[in-house]
Amino acid sequence: MRGADAVEAAAATPPVRRTSRSASPFDSARRRALGVFVVPALAVYVLVVIAPTLLTVWISFHRWAGAGPMEYVGIGNYRFMLRDPAFHRSFVTTMVILFVVGAITFTVAFVLTMLLQDMAGRRFVRAVVFFPSLLPGLVIAILWGFLFDPQGLVNHVLTLLGVDEPPLWLGADHLFSTVMAGKVWLSAGTYTVIFMAAADRIPRYFYEAADLDGASAVQRFRHVTVPLMSGVAGVCAVLWSISALKSFEFMLAFAGATGQLPPVSLWTFPLYSYATAFAADAAAGFGVASAAAVMTLALSLVLTILVRRVLAERTHVEY
Amino acid sequence: MPTTTTSQPARRDARANRPLARPRLTRRPSRRPRRGRSPLHLILLPAAWSLAIFDLFVVGWLFLNSLKTTPEIFEDPWGLPSRPRWHNYVDAWNVAHFGEGVLNSLVLVVASGIATLSLAAPAAYALTRFRWRWSGPVTVFFAMGLGVPAQSIFIPLYVGMDRLGLVNTLWGLLLVYTATNLPFAVFFLTGFFASLPHELEEAAALDGAGPGYTFWRIMLPLTRSGLLTLFVLQAIGDWGETFFALVFLQDKKTISLALLNFTQTVQYTGAEWSVLFAGICIIVIPLIALYLWTGRRLVEGIAAGYGR
Repeated sequence: MRGADAVEAAAATPPVRRTSRSASPFDSARRRALGVFVVPALAVYVLVVIAPTLLTVWISFHRWAGAGPMEYVGIGNYRFMLRDPAFHRSFVTTMVILFVVGAITFTVAFVLTMLLQDMAGRRFVRAVVFFPSLLPGLVIAILWGFLFDPQGLVNHVLTLLGVDEPPLWLGADHLFSTVMAGKVWLSAGTYTVIFMAAADRIPRYFYEAADLDGASAVQRFRHVTVPLMSGVAGVCAVLWSISALKSFEFMLAFAGATGQLPPVSLWTFPLYSYATAFAADAAAGFGVASAAAVMTLALSLVLTILVRRVLAERTHVEY
Repeated sequence: MPTTTTSQPARRDARANRPLARPRLTRRPSRRPRRGRSPLHLILLPAAWSLAIFDLFVVGWLFLNSLKTTPEIFEDPWGLPSRPRWHNYVDAWNVAHFGEGVLNSLVLVVASGIATLSLAAPAAYALTRFRWRWSGPVTVFFAMGLGVPAQSIFIPLYVGMDRLGLVNTLWGLLLVYTATNLPFAVFFLTGFFASLPHELEEAAALDGAGPGYTFWRIMLPLTRSGLLTLFVLQAIGDWGETFFALVFLQDKKTISLALLNFTQTVQYTGAEWSVLFAGICIIVIPLIALYLWTGRRLVEGIAAGYGR
């Protein structure tokens, strides 16, 4: 039955064949099935992800409160946003997460990878270190907040160690650093797992050759491990950029007693968008929130391309 | 290096037959030589262990605190509970609405997981295996979705769903989760399908199987482990999802909303930390169970998904 169908189809439409290679009934049956296989996923994806993205760009050029007429304001929303101190704070925080927290996270992950390579109990340590990455950001943030609470465990330990006046970790002075340290704790595990898998794929004879040439541990690391892991590190850099631009729930949990949102010093791009979209005073509304979102999107695009470009220049090693 | 010289002939033989796999597999157990350790190692090694111990400690401490009374948590942060208060869990489940949150989140995670898989698996299969001019571009088009953050789609989605009456329903959130999971799912599964041998499909076609039958009865079962890994990864991601839940639900609760709500009341009243800890345990325990069950496969799945 099916075979006959396929033959019939192949016979019915011979002239549109692109190349002689694809003329088999096998391929033509598959081509007819293509729609059933791909279209549902594509439709849902376009409808819920792509179309809203484009609409967000459209909304960002309008003043709009969600209902009623839209008023075209050109780049007015962008100008408003760029003058908004809350946006400046969000920009700085997001950039700090992107670059500073990113650098520390990658360093921690890299050091752990190197240490775990020839350590007893590596599987166990890897499994444990990875665990925080599985927990919802909100949970980690609440635990972190409780650990660093004035009466929390960290200060308890510090008092036991003889520190008379342990710092107020969640006070205005330290809140930012405390939260950033929490983000490192949350993220390091994922990248350790990825780096370790990449390091495991480096063939041993490279290290043996380096040993024979009298390379020290640092030289082995510098000249064998680092170049061979740059591809994976690049993928991770893209992943990190995207996730840094999405940082939301970890900050959200540090909302003080004042209300639903954390202090502005902890705002990131998503928080800024969320807060302006549903602001109580509704002065800014959807337009400005969309403008901030478009900026995030543009930044994520630029970063992805940039990282790809930097990596493409390196020689790609096959092993 | 005596080991290399003695194994030299054997290695060469093995190489002649099987280029790579043989020698590496047999030599796996002896990892890198342990000599040449720098003093840096001696400082960092304890640091690595203490990080692991810290993580374990936090989980244990969380569980212990969930069984204490609130005064006990503050007065005796290190001690065991005088008498385990399982009632905290009952309070968290009922009074703090974690029960409702768990049920809603469970429905969302399972339903959106299944929906994503049933959309992404055929698409990924067709994109890797069918000879089609647009396969490459469409795959890239899906992958682009990985870079679209939640904040750049929520406004039109909110307005649209509001008009369709989908705000404050689980259906709306289900649709959003399913769609936002698609890019990663397609990306992950294309890697899986690409690694399967072509001969099976050709043999199936010779036996008269159409593409649908081949996919469903032959190729899909071969990717079972990949599908399971993907399902677990998505479940972990969506279990505590906050942004979309916060936007699309108002009085309904997922676990993250229950948690957020309760944290705020705790901060206002300063009471019932013990119930909060019990609530966190309710969220975390399923994840621990899942991790213990699928642990190694999960870790390797993540490494494979990104590491290439």
